[in-house]
Amino acid sequence: MAVPYLELHTGPGRGYPVAQVVGRGESVDVLYRHTDWFKVRTERGIEGWASAQDLSRTLLADGSRFTVNLGDRAGFRSHTWEGGVFAGAYAGATLISAYAALSVTDNLKIEADASQYLGNISNGYLFDIGLAHVFMPEWRVSPFVTLGTGIELVEPKATLAQPINRSDQLGYAGIGLRCYLTRRFFLRGEFRSNEIFTRTNTNEVDKEWRVGFAFFY
Amino acid sequence: MESRIRLLLLSAVALWACSGCAVWHRLHRHSSSAASASSSAASSSTASGGTSSGPESGGDDQSSSPPPVVVVPQVQRRTITVPKIKSNNLELGAYYGIISIQDFGAQPVEGLRLDYHITEDFFFEGSYGRATAGETSFELLSGGIQLLSNAERRFTYYNLSLGYNVLPGETFIGHKLAMTSALYLIGGIGSVQFAGDQNFAVNFGAGYRILPTDWLALHIDVQDLVFRTDIFTVYRLQNNLQATLGLSVYF
Repeated sequence: MAVPYLELHTGPGRGYPVAQVVGRGESVDVLYRHTDWFKVRTERGIEGWASAQDLSRTLLADGSRFTVNLGDRAGFRSHTWEGGVFAGAYAGATLISAYAALSVTDNLKIEADASQYLGNISNGYLFDIGLAHVFMPEWRVSPFVTLGTGIELVEPKATLAQPINRSDQLGYAGIGLRCYLTRRFFLRGEFRSNEIFTRTNTNEVDKEWRVGFAFFY
Repeated sequence: MESRIRLLLLSAVALWACSGCAVWHRLHRHSSSAASASSSAASSSTASGGTSSGPESGGDDQSSSPPPVVVVPQVQRRTITVPKIKSNNLELGAYYGIISIQDFGAQPVEGLRLDYHITEDFFFEGSYGRATAGETSFELLSGGIQLLSNAERRFTYYNLSLGYNVLPGETFIGHKLAMTSALYLIGGIGSVQFAGDQNFAVNFGAGYRILPTDWLALHIDVQDLVFRTDIFTVYRLQNNLQATLGLSVYF
């Protein structure tokens, strides 16, 4: 403990009362973590929750600082994983979507999405895989383009004469923006044009837009 | 003998006098130079700076020379590998309660929830629930008319929600037991499968989470599931209130 004292709360949050204090020179064992709080055990065997902010001012046994990665702009630029959920519209229907992405470089990402759309005429699912290229990953608001392929499963509503479920392959191209919020979070909004390769003579083009909340690791 | 003692005494006196003389001379010279320096300082500050800084800078040169090495430190630096700290930000649980499906009566509901706690304030929740709708008043009174088949009465939903812990604190049970707890607000989007149709749904509500241990949580949760449906031929909003009791584990 290199700071005058470390406050130990009864729970993992600032709203929980401070029940114990660890003095300068004493040591604690870190047991586990819940969000940005660490459960620690003092030399006297008392357990409590210390915030990552407070713990980062303490020292490890070799004299180096205890470091915690809470997420920052540098992490927004380069990270390995990201994921998020969206709400939007797909060809006039309401869209609910979730995605996960793996970064190959700071600019290039491999993405997979699963979406469900719910409309008055038909419901359906979309499963896509594709590439995203982020142009300026160091900018707070960074533009990107996407290109990929997937399948669409359509379930026409029962009010139609002969509802037949069908599945079609699709290709998509899109543009979007990523906006860093704080810590590990960012907003993501995008527009896509989906080319559905139907079994009929003409392909179908379905426009899709979605905005959502995403985080990175 | 006497002459020897006298000689010894005289030489001692002479030595003392000489040394005293030398000390006195040095002292006298030092004080006179200091006096001259102070007098010159009074007359001209630049000159005094030059004279007084001379001996001081000489002293600094002496102290800045590296001290002789007495002990060569041979300290072996400890290398510490910090083990990965286990985190329990995920919460998986089951719940059971009652749901009032609009026009179809209040029925038992059961479900699963998976939470991801992002910060101490916010969490994501994915939930899946199911219930079986009862009969409408019309079906009960008309005697035998069924608006929906048994398969269509199945009510299943999923929600993706964002939660916010508004009132974190402690709950006291008796005098000795205090458990951490939090009141949370939750809202999200999802879909409801009911009456042979699937519709977009919005859910919102509030809940109370109490933790007997760091890995176990008890939930009391009230939410409204709202969706637009044309079960009764025209589109209208259907509100479905549910109150549930759940148990979940952190991992």
